[in-house]
Amino acid sequence: MRRHYAELWLLLLTSFAVFAVSSAFDMPEIGGRKLKSSGIADALLAQRSDGGRDAVSVAGSLSADTTAAADPSAEPAPCDSLPKTILFIGDSMLEGLGPRMAAYADHNGHTLYEVMWYSSTSEVWGRSDRLAGYIGRIKPDYIFICLGANELFVKDIAEKRTKYVDRILADIDTIPYLWIGPPNWRDDTGINDLIASQTERGCFFLSDGMHFERSKDGAHPTHESAAAWLDSVVRWMPRHAKHPILMETPSVKSSRAKRIFVHQPNEK
Amino acid sequence: MASLTDILHNVGQMLTYDPEAPMLFSSGIFWALFLVFMPIYGLLRQRKTQMVVFVVLFSFFFYYKSSGLFVLMLAGTSLTDWLLSRAIARPGQSRAVRRGCVALSLCLSLGILGYFKYANFFLWNFQAMTGGNFQPLDLVLPVGISFYTFQSVSYIVDVYKGRVAPTRTWLEYAFFLSFFPALVAGPIVRADYFLPQIDQNRHASREEIYTGLWLIMLGVIKKAVIADYIAQYNDLIFNSPGAYSGFETLMGIIGYTMQIYCDFSGYSDMAIGIALIMGFRLAQNFNFPYKSQNLTDFWRRWHISLSSWLRDYVYIPLGGNRKGTVRTYVNNFVTMVIGGLWHGAAWKFVFWGAMHGAGLAVHKASRPWLDRVPDNRLTRALWWLTTMVFVSLLWVFFRAASWDDSLEIIRSVGRDFSLTYFPAFASARMLWLVLMFVIIAAHAVPAAFWERVRQLFVRSPWAVKLLLFILTVQLVLELRTADVSPFIYFQF
Repeated sequence: MRRHYAELWLLLLTSFAVFAVSSAFDMPEIGGRKLKSSGIADALLAQRSDGGRDAVSVAGSLSADTTAAADPSAEPAPCDSLPKTILFIGDSMLEGLGPRMAAYADHNGHTLYEVMWYSSTSEVWGRSDRLAGYIGRIKPDYIFICLGANELFVKDIAEKRTKYVDRILADIDTIPYLWIGPPNWRDDTGINDLIASQTERGCFFLSDGMHFERSKDGAHPTHESAAAWLDSVVRWMPRHAKHPILMETPSVKSSRAKRIFVHQPNEK
Repeated sequence: MASLTDILHNVGQMLTYDPEAPMLFSSGIFWALFLVFMPIYGLLRQRKTQMVVFVVLFSFFFYYKSSGLFVLMLAGTSLTDWLLSRAIARPGQSRAVRRGCVALSLCLSLGILGYFKYANFFLWNFQAMTGGNFQPLDLVLPVGISFYTFQSVSYIVDVYKGRVAPTRTWLEYAFFLSFFPALVAGPIVRADYFLPQIDQNRHASREEIYTGLWLIMLGVIKKAVIADYIAQYNDLIFNSPGAYSGFETLMGIIGYTMQIYCDFSGYSDMAIGIALIMGFRLAQNFNFPYKSQNLTDFWRRWHISLSSWLRDYVYIPLGGNRKGTVRTYVNNFVTMVIGGLWHGAAWKFVFWGAMHGAGLAVHKASRPWLDRVPDNRLTRALWWLTTMVFVSLLWVFFRAASWDDSLEIIRSVGRDFSLTYFPAFASARMLWLVLMFVIIAAHAVPAAFWERVRQLFVRSPWAVKLLLFILTVQLVLELRTADVSPFIYFQF
């Protein structure tokens, strides 16, 4: 009978080894689609955080409570009070941020389009032409981005993802934008630093360090907490954003965007 | 490059309690630990004492990973229960002492459950009635407390009634109460069924081991592939009531109906599968509940371990059907309200349970009339549809954040319903639809088909099993979200 246990154990061990070893290398592509890694190697080999990372010190970045760290002599940019066509793109964090953003848009006369791509990363967006496609189609005059939550623990992230962040920013080109950083639930391996270093000053809102009430998955902020998160972004904008726009507090908690485009993780 | 210290630190972190990352059967950390557990268990299986000690230690560690130092409470509860059960069964013990022991045990078990799970609920309602300011107590609900408390209650009652002999040692009882496959989300294990298996001291057969693996894979697909994937859309609907069209909202309701089934039955499959690999049989917990043609049938197929527990330890002690028709309905209703409250300390669960109780009463009352209706495909389809609509609508109250949200979601279906949304919906959510179709198709095929597939898997060569297992895990990786969602039933 022990032989059967041994057989099963060998089966589980072999498959575990397959996933552990494969996670240390670049995953192969099948039919033009890159297989996802188990992340076992990343989890085991991640270097300990020295606790010294400070995105505030990174060029162009501002912390969640940035008022103290911001250059006191810098004058706030003038607020553009014209109605905007806003494109809000990102990962599943838009589930929580989207309804609140829609309430702001409604209240301030903006037109909001959302593109939520589940489990997406800067790499996923950077590799696809989807952002350029939406920009061409919707012709937004303001873009919000919320990406990074699915790449908090990527090893050697600067080496792997800088080109994709740059590609996203190249697609945005001269359109005013604001990148809302991921709501860290653990220390990241550098995604916040990376985005902060690639974006212009006042175009990145660092969410790391903020307190969030999390939903059951432990990662996504609850609906209420996501709304408060966006409220923080909006409060931060007038003094620190490079391109502040009219975002007066709406009387309703949530609303619906003019159009929501949803893409599943496996879509190309 | 990570140093050895980094690796050891990371392993240490993985083995330390993290309230945001309870150990799930579908997680990599459980898989890795199970790889360590299995060979040792295989060596000890026929040495009863060593095996029991080893499994209890592993179960306690498993619980520590999920609930931290509440593991001490679990150990304390099991020790108290065991001492009281020995006192109850002591020869010549007076009836008064025996009853006192039962009362004490129930007070302790249910008191702890009540404190952690219901204290804020009752305080909130009390303050609402008296008009005071309510400051909720800072309580954390220990994972799985509702499950192991019910096991503890049934054990004490069974010992008192003479249906079960108390275990000879505390370790055996701790083994029963903390058995890790069923510890945090059931199935609720009954002592009379489980305890004799400890003494059997037998290895699982090849058939059992690979049936166990089959069930684990099935459970992983249900939970980590289907339920977690379709949840992404369902959450959109339930998080923003009224923000979507009637058609989209209806899809969200149907989606949640399937999600909760896949989530919970997937967990049960994994638990039953792991136990089977260890040579222990746990009772079936789900039997294609959405095939039911009436509510009575539904409760014979849904969360069977809970419904049979409620029948044996609430409904029958209340009088069951022995005290007249009206009393039968009342007993049924009260049992279901308690069942609803078991799911969570909120009025929405009470309402959910009460409506099921009322539905069961209506079904029982209308049986004489229903029996006269011709039994054909049309009527069967009608009964099935009626049952599904009723069950699905009640899931809305179960899932939505508030009473207002529930009503808004249901209103949304009627307000803006048009099938013209379907082509756009299908194009945007093809995989969601495919997965929904898979669940429905799985219910539609005869049970014999699944038995045949299971046999094929068990008899397949080792390399085929390995390949299928790797494919299953890769499928999970491909479809998983940013983080793995905990099982819905963890919160109960």
